[in-house]
Amino acid sequence: MPLAVADTCFLINWLSFRRWEDIFRLFNRILLPSIMVPELRSQRVRSRVEELAYSGRLVVLPRVDYVDREALRIFNLVNSTPGLPRIDEPEAYGLAYAALHGIPFLTDNASPRIAARSLSSLRGVAVYDSLDLLVLLYRESGLRAAVEEFMSDTSVTFSRERLREAGVEL
Amino acid sequence: MIVRICGASPNSYSACSNPPTFSAAFTSKRYQLALLSSLVAGEYLKRLEEARELRRRSADWAYIESRPEPLKTALKLLVETGDLWYSAKLSGVPLDELNEERKRARIPLVVV
Repeated sequence: MPLAVADTCFLINWLSFRRWEDIFRLFNRILLPSIMVPELRSQRVRSRVEELAYSGRLVVLPRVDYVDREALRIFNLVNSTPGLPRIDEPEAYGLAYAALHGIPFLTDNASPRIAARSLSSLRGVAVYDSLDLLVLLYRESGLRAAVEEFMSDTSVTFSRERLREAGVEL
Repeated sequence: MIVRICGASPNSYSACSNPPTFSAAFTSKRYQLALLSSLVAGEYLKRLEEARELRRRSADWAYIESRPEPLKTALKLLVETGDLWYSAKLSGVPLDELNEERKRARIPLVVV
């Protein structure tokens, strides 16, 4: 998979993982929508993002009208559908970009994932969370160790159901 | 705020030039489909509630109460919603600063 679009929260946490560079075994380049860049204020995260951008492994996406329109459609649809968790503007933009260009969207938030599984107009859009990437990257005992390290480094926890789905026993 | 749902074609923005109102959309085929799909989301809503309980149990409340405003409110909002961006945006605390604070406050981000 050459490209994936990521949301800010995902990127911030993933960059705290000791094996963060492994993500580039899955994707040649990570796309970060420009509307998310102002969210990055800490020097540590900004430096790493700039370093990645300089090396060509991260590209900041310009904000464009046709993606905005699709993002607004997704924003309205998800937020007006009873039972679906609220989607935020940057997530809607990232999901819209991913849907329009047929590339995965990386986020640890539930809303885009649930929307992509529940709404017929978003079916087929690949939404990956951190556990999905760990499963794609590591196998068996290596996976278990990676999950433990990820949780320790990022303070991100995976629900029992997600771990069971991924076949990980901690 | 009047929420509008566009017409039958998901990608046809010309259909939005005179979109149905929210109440009219309740009867549309598209809305009915969305409603059926929300049943799938029901399983996730249970997981989200369990995640909220985990955040409430894990949080260091003494630490949260010791923080100045608007950090204190942002952390409490994060415990309830689990949504880092939303909590940061509403409170005005920078996203990555809130992320560091939530680690100190032992609030896990729970992937469901």
